[in-house]
Amino acid sequence: MKKLLAMLMAAAMTLSLVACGGSAGGAEDTAPQEGTAASEDGTYELALITDVGTIDDKSFNQGSWEGLKKFAEEAGISHKYYKPVEKSTDSYLASIELAVKGGAKLIVTPGFLYEEPIFIAQEQYPDVKFVLIDGTPNNGTEFKIADNTVSITYAEEQAGFLAGYAAVKEGYTKLGFMGGMAVPAVVRFGYGFVQGAEAAAAELGISEVQMNYHYTGGFSATPEAQTLAASWYQNGTEVIFACGGAVGNSVMAAAAQSNGKVIGVDVDQSSESETVITSAMKGIQASVYDVVKKYSEGQFPGGQALVFSAENNGVALPNETSKLTNFTQDDYNAVFNALASDENGIASSMIKDADKDGNPISLSDIPVSIVKLTEIK
Amino acid sequence: MNTLYFIVQQTMFFSIPLLVVALGGMFSERSGVVNVALEGIMVIGAFSGIVVINLFQGVLPGQPILIAALLTATAAGVIVSLAHAYASVNMKADQVISGTAINMFAPAFAICVARSIYQTQQVPFQNQFHISKVPFLGDIPVLGDIFFKNTYITTYIGFAILIVSAFVLNKTKFGLRLRACGEHPQAADSVGVNVYKIRYAGVMISGALGGIGGLIFVIPTSTNFNATVAGYGFLALAVLIFGQWKPQRILLAAFFFGLMKTVASAYSVIPLLSTLSIPAEIYKIIPYAATLIVLAFTSKNSQAPRAAGVPYDKGSR
Repeated sequence: MKKLLAMLMAAAMTLSLVACGGSAGGAEDTAPQEGTAASEDGTYELALITDVGTIDDKSFNQGSWEGLKKFAEEAGISHKYYKPVEKSTDSYLASIELAVKGGAKLIVTPGFLYEEPIFIAQEQYPDVKFVLIDGTPNNGTEFKIADNTVSITYAEEQAGFLAGYAAVKEGYTKLGFMGGMAVPAVVRFGYGFVQGAEAAAAELGISEVQMNYHYTGGFSATPEAQTLAASWYQNGTEVIFACGGAVGNSVMAAAAQSNGKVIGVDVDQSSESETVITSAMKGIQASVYDVVKKYSEGQFPGGQALVFSAENNGVALPNETSKLTNFTQDDYNAVFNALASDENGIASSMIKDADKDGNPISLSDIPVSIVKLTEIK
Repeated sequence: MNTLYFIVQQTMFFSIPLLVVALGGMFSERSGVVNVALEGIMVIGAFSGIVVINLFQGVLPGQPILIAALLTATAAGVIVSLAHAYASVNMKADQVISGTAINMFAPAFAICVARSIYQTQQVPFQNQFHISKVPFLGDIPVLGDIFFKNTYITTYIGFAILIVSAFVLNKTKFGLRLRACGEHPQAADSVGVNVYKIRYAGVMISGALGGIGGLIFVIPTSTNFNATVAGYGFLALAVLIFGQWKPQRILLAAFFFGLMKTVASAYSVIPLLSTLSIPAEIYKIIPYAATLIVLAFTSKNSQAPRAAGVPYDKGSR
């Protein structure tokens, strides 16, 4: 009887594994995703390595992969993604090695956390091209973009600016910003949000805009984030800019419960919850598509640091799904064009996460007079 | 006053899942089987429950879906816990190892299945279960504000589970046998109690409650399920130990942890605390520091079931 049971159990487990492997899979040791074509010798020329998030994080991993996949399918190039075992430089390097052994000629690594691994890998594999998204290769002290690497960053402060501007123009005067980890991209979003709110308030002649400001320190949905967001809504906050992956889902849950509003991040998040009124988007998919295309045309922009901003349509708010009523399409076009053409230095003078020499700027250094910031540490 | 009500209401969202899961752990450990698999069981329960919600959304009204999801979560939790029971009761395996195995297996399983159904690992759901005010009861001054506003039916289910658990454990024949198997299984066996059966029952109850707790945990906190319950299964173990394996104390422990978690997150809106400049980390540390201190001082006369973690071997009687 015991043996029979054990055998049954083993059989069931094997079956379930087989069933899953057949349809899903995708990470390093299993079958590649649907639509993923290997070349004849079983290698994959284009590779993407995810960071702590997953390939379907509805944020930059997914955006990057979709951009890469779109071009690869159009051009018929073999492609595959890899998932590191854990969040560490060693593990990232191991995944890069795996991708290179798998025949990768171009590797896309989305995420700030790849700054150090790429700094090492660009020297180690001079024949492989690297695309680092959201960061610049460095080892903590030395910054270097080798000829086989291109670093893509986004002007997140401009996306945040648009969101903050739109929120105040819409008539909200009690705002909140809830970021994930305080990595440079998130900080830029937040600072832009503050400055956008300030600019709109100045234009409208509003005397005071209140803003709560907080980093949760992680990118996952937790009851802690939900409670904090709920407490803000309880205290009168009208709209929260949720800027940290799944933290947004906790904010949305709190908003649904307290009739609050949410501003989404990275991609158009309006499909996630009714409470999302707009999203501060960055054009990850388009920029990856762009770079991969240049690579296949033999014009890989190696050694460069590309910045995607309003000027080259790297940031935007979604129009079709916007739930804003007082902030019209014309208002949006006006502020977007001002950013794109850097009218009166509006884009170039905007405060980012760090000054020109790379020294971090703290929240209290942002010169705001109308926006009253309350930072919750 | 509104802030106070708000704090109590939010505390429920933390405390009820902890309470339910810790009670589950209590049944398992009082029967003599250590159950560190609570985290994994919560994940499986939450996952299966959320899938049911996702499938029936729009077909059925809110509360019936929630009941269906809770039943599914219960069943799923029981099924997973059977693996743990089989390994630790029949096979006499190390109970920590089989529990750890389940903890690792659960999220992987949830991601794998979610991807084959939805192509993404997150399972979205709409929260139609929130009750902003219970009719009539919500109008009672003070009590109505505390217990019958901004709530979920799961809160009441949680309290019902507590009452039933306390009764079953302390007042029934089954409860007595369960406790006997956790303290001295040889003695229980000698008077004709089937230790294996009782232990199976204990682990299965913990599976059922773990599954329910997982679902209760996820519903108010997010808009999708992403194969994690953020370590609350382990926190429930701490609640269980802090509560000294007794239902009433587990209740206190769960609310203590829940209150501290709420205060740590929301202290900025609490008038008195926002003026003190205590970093949030301090509030986050308090429940764990308290657990350590309590354990340090009570370990001598700890109420842990004597035979917890020891596989029962008939031959060694």
